[in-house]
Formats: sequence, structure tokens, C-alpha cells
Amino acid sequence: MSRLQLEDLQLARGGRTVLEHLDGSFQDGAVTALIGANGAGKSTLISAIMGMLRPVAGRVACQVSRERCAWLPQQLALDLTFPMSVEELIMTGTWPSHGALKGYCAAHYRRGREIMARLGISHLAHRQLGELSGGQRQRALLGRTLMQEAELLLLDEPFANVDIETVDVLMEVLRDMAREGATIIVVLHDMEQLSRLADDVLMLAGGHGRWVSPEALLERHTGLTPRAPRLPLTFPEPANAGTA
Amino acid sequence: MLALLEAWLIAPFDYGFMQRAFVAGLALSLAAPPLGVFLMLRGMSLIGDAMSHAILPGVALGFLFAGFSLPIMSLGGVLSGLLVAVLAGSVSQMTGHREDSAMASFFLISLAAGVMLVSLGGSSVDLTHVLFGSILAVNSTSLLLIAAISSLIVVTLAVVFRALVVECLDPLFLRGQGVHGGLVHGVFLGLVVLNLTAGFQTLGTLMAVGLMMLPATTARFWSQRLEGLIGVAVAIAMVASTGGLLLSYHLSLPSGPSIILLAGAAYLLSALLGRHHSLRVRLQRRAAPLGAPEPH
Repeated sequence: MSRLQLEDLQLARGGRTVLEHLDGSFQDGAVTALIGANGAGKSTLISAIMGMLRPVAGRVACQVSRERCAWLPQQLALDLTFPMSVEELIMTGTWPSHGALKGYCAAHYRRGREIMARLGISHLAHRQLGELSGGQRQRALLGRTLMQEAELLLLDEPFANVDIETVDVLMEVLRDMAREGATIIVVLHDMEQLSRLADDVLMLAGGHGRWVSPEALLERHTGLTPRAPRLPLTFPEPANAGTA
Repeated sequence: MLALLEAWLIAPFDYGFMQRAFVAGLALSLAAPPLGVFLMLRGMSLIGDAMSHAILPGVALGFLFAGFSLPIMSLGGVLSGLLVAVLAGSVSQMTGHREDSAMASFFLISLAAGVMLVSLGGSSVDLTHVLFGSILAVNSTSLLLIAAISSLIVVTLAVVFRALVVECLDPLFLRGQGVHGGLVHGVFLGLVVLNLTAGFQTLGTLMAVGLMMLPATTARFWSQRLEGLIGVAVAIAMVASTGGLLLSYHLSLPSGPSIILLAGAAYLLSALLGRHHSLRVRLQRRAAPLGAPEPH
């Protein structure tokens, strides 16, 4: 039996039902993509899984302890002007074991450095969050969830505003985490990213959820270009640009 | 030269009232600026101002019942400050209005109520004292109270420090960890109220917030790290409160405004000459060539 299951779940926002009769289980040690149009209820479902939204009916059966659930919101939700360095951010991931008071010991700093090396941000350890690019920030935030040793990881559009190289690093780390047994749920819009990352897909539409395999989904989309344009784009020749 | 320095800087502290004022100023300078730094970083710089008005009715009621007794007035101040914070929070939650609009409404009501109460019960001299304070009139009991409150604030802040930092950056992370962000926020606002009540005897209800916010906003021009901000802010507050006392002694100026104006002067100077984001930096900034060492 998987650690995270939905049982006839009904969710509402502001008195309006957003999702109903949602059933199914998220595979352990796998990446599940959550897809759907804007307003289909992706964020609502994530809030419910995180225990921040009470279901109207049914339930979310989650066997992962709260401290091992990590949630990576879209970057806009964070106050990135706050004076904090990358290393300090990653160290806050020790909260489950350290809480508000316990001091960090050398072993934890060492682990923090390992995580930064794995994410390719060692050289940014003492840089302030406000000075980072979108991709660097996303690496740092994923670093915090690694520190947290998350067993359930929810990510809301983690690859938005992120450079290609970072996407590769993040995907690799997420795949590793899944291989080590974590349950990972990612809100995605890009079919190409979905094909590279997802083992399973939960598609939300019209207030209902449908579980599909990535292969079936991609087959329906064969021939269609991914929604987001991808670099390298071809630019017009300078001579043409001058006359245009 | 030495004699002149001694006459200016040391001799005034031969008086008992100056010694007490000095220590009270230092104690407040240790507790207030860190709170100010967090208020500033949370985009709540004006909340301190609002809270300083909110404690007024309680202080006035304490004054009406017990006369000029600092412990009773402080207790009244803490209670009314917390009451207003809770009321503003619940009204904004019930109505869905932003918290700052509820806070603004309540602090205006509090200010009017407080001034009304003091006027009913006392003379305009009393009103001036409550509104603007007098650090030179601090007696031993008040000093003990100020020192105790300041110590309590510093210790509590140390305990909630990490939670507060995490909550500022990413409230959802803390909530995910099972810590109610509202609790951290509530404790923090409680500390702000406590600090303002400790400050009103020395600087008055209206100006107590100056020693909290001005050093914090000034520090922003000198440091970009949290520890640096707090350290610089505390140092500025200590210099301003001691310098302000001396100025008021030598030039027969009111003490509260001297202290706050000195902190204000530090702010203006820093805005012109500070290390980060100041006018000087803006004018001097040239794009460094690629590969040049970073200016930090």
C-alpha cells in the first residue's frame, strides 16, 4: 500500500467545489506529474495533501510524518529580499531534527556542503538569496528539501523561470530522490519535461481527476510541440533584422 | 583638551539621574533595534508606530487609577497594546480586509481614547509626560522595570530567532513543520508591545518607536546580513541614546527628541554616505569588467 492515498476526496475553495470523487494512490519512489489547466485545482489539491485545506468529504491518507513532507512553492511566494545566504537557507532544512533551538554541528554543515556540491552551488554558499538568478534560487530551495530528507515532496512548477542546465540538475536530483524511495509530486505544464521526469500522471479537468500513464498521454500529444518555447531559438539574420 | 572632554562626556554622569538615564538608554538600545530590524524586514515598519499609539489608552487608564506609577501604567499599556493587536487581527480575518487597514483604524481610535482619558484625569503637563516621556525622570523602580523588560525581550528573541527568520522567508515551510506561524507572529508582536511600554517612560509613547525603527532603517545602509543589521542597529541606538542625553544635558534640550533626532541624523548621513544603496554608492558605481574580484 502506498504512503499517500486519496479516498473519494472532495475539495472546495470559497464555498465552491473545485474537485470531487478523487481516488487513487501516489506511487512510492516515483514521480507523479500533476497536470491541468489554470484553475483546475492543482494548488487546491496540493494544499489538501499538505494538510492546509480541510476536505469537504473523503480524506487524504498520508503516512508520512509532517516534518518529512516538503513543499516547494512557486518562487513568487517567498520573500527573497530577506537577508539570508544560500548556506543558511539550506541549513533551515534541519528543522525536523533541530527545531528552533538546537545548534548545528559540524556533521550537518558537512552535509550542507555535500548538498550544495551535488546541486552545483558550492561557490554560492555565502551569497545572499536576493543576488541569485531564478535557477540558482531553485537549486538552493531544492537543497533545503534534501537537507530535510523529505519522503514526500511537492513541487509547484519547479522549472518555471529556470535555465536549461538547472532543469537538468533538478531533474537528476529528483530522480535520485525517487530512486531512494521518496514520493514526489510535481505540477508541470511542459510535455517535454513530463516525458523526461514522470512515472505517472494525475490529470485534473472539469472537477475530476484521471490517472494516466505518461506514455498514453504523450501518444495523444504526439506531433504537438511543447507549449513553452525552448532555447536555442533561431534569431533572424542581422541584415534581415535591420530591414524588418 | 582632556579636561574639556571630561567636562563634556564624563562629568554629567556624576549625577544620579544621568546615570539612571544612561543605563535605561543602553538597556532599551539593546532590546529595541533587533525588533525594529525584523519589523523592517517583514515590511511592517509602520506597525511599530501603530502599536505605540495602541498602548496609550492602557497607559492613560493606569495613570487615572494609580497616578504616576510606571508598573501599573506599563501593565495597562501591554494589555491595551495586545488587545488592539488581537482585535485588528480578528477584524481583518473576519472581514477579509488587509491587516494594515484594521490596524490603522484601531490605532487612531486608541490615540483619541488615550488623549481623552489623560485629559479627563490630569493636566496638560501629565499629557505631555505620557506622550513624550522624560528619560531624566527615571527612578530606580522604573530602571529595574526597564532592565527586566529589556532582558526578557533579548532572551525571548534569542529563543524564537530561528523560527522568526524562517517565518519571514517562507511561512509555509514553518507551517509544514507543524509550527503555527501565527504563534511566532503573535509572540513577536507581544515583544514589540512590551518594548514600547518599557520605552514610553523614557521617550514617551510616541517616540519610543523611534529608537526601534531609526537604528534599524539606518543599519540597512551598512550591512546586508541579518547579524550585521542587528549589530549595527544596536550600536547606533546606543550612541544615539547616550549622545542625545549629553546633548540634552549641555544644551538644555528635551531628552527624548534629542535622542531620536540624533538617530535621525545618523539615518540621513547613512543614506548619503553608507556602504550599501546610499547616494554615494549610486554615484560611484561603475560597472566592473568581467572577471574582476567582487566588491564584497
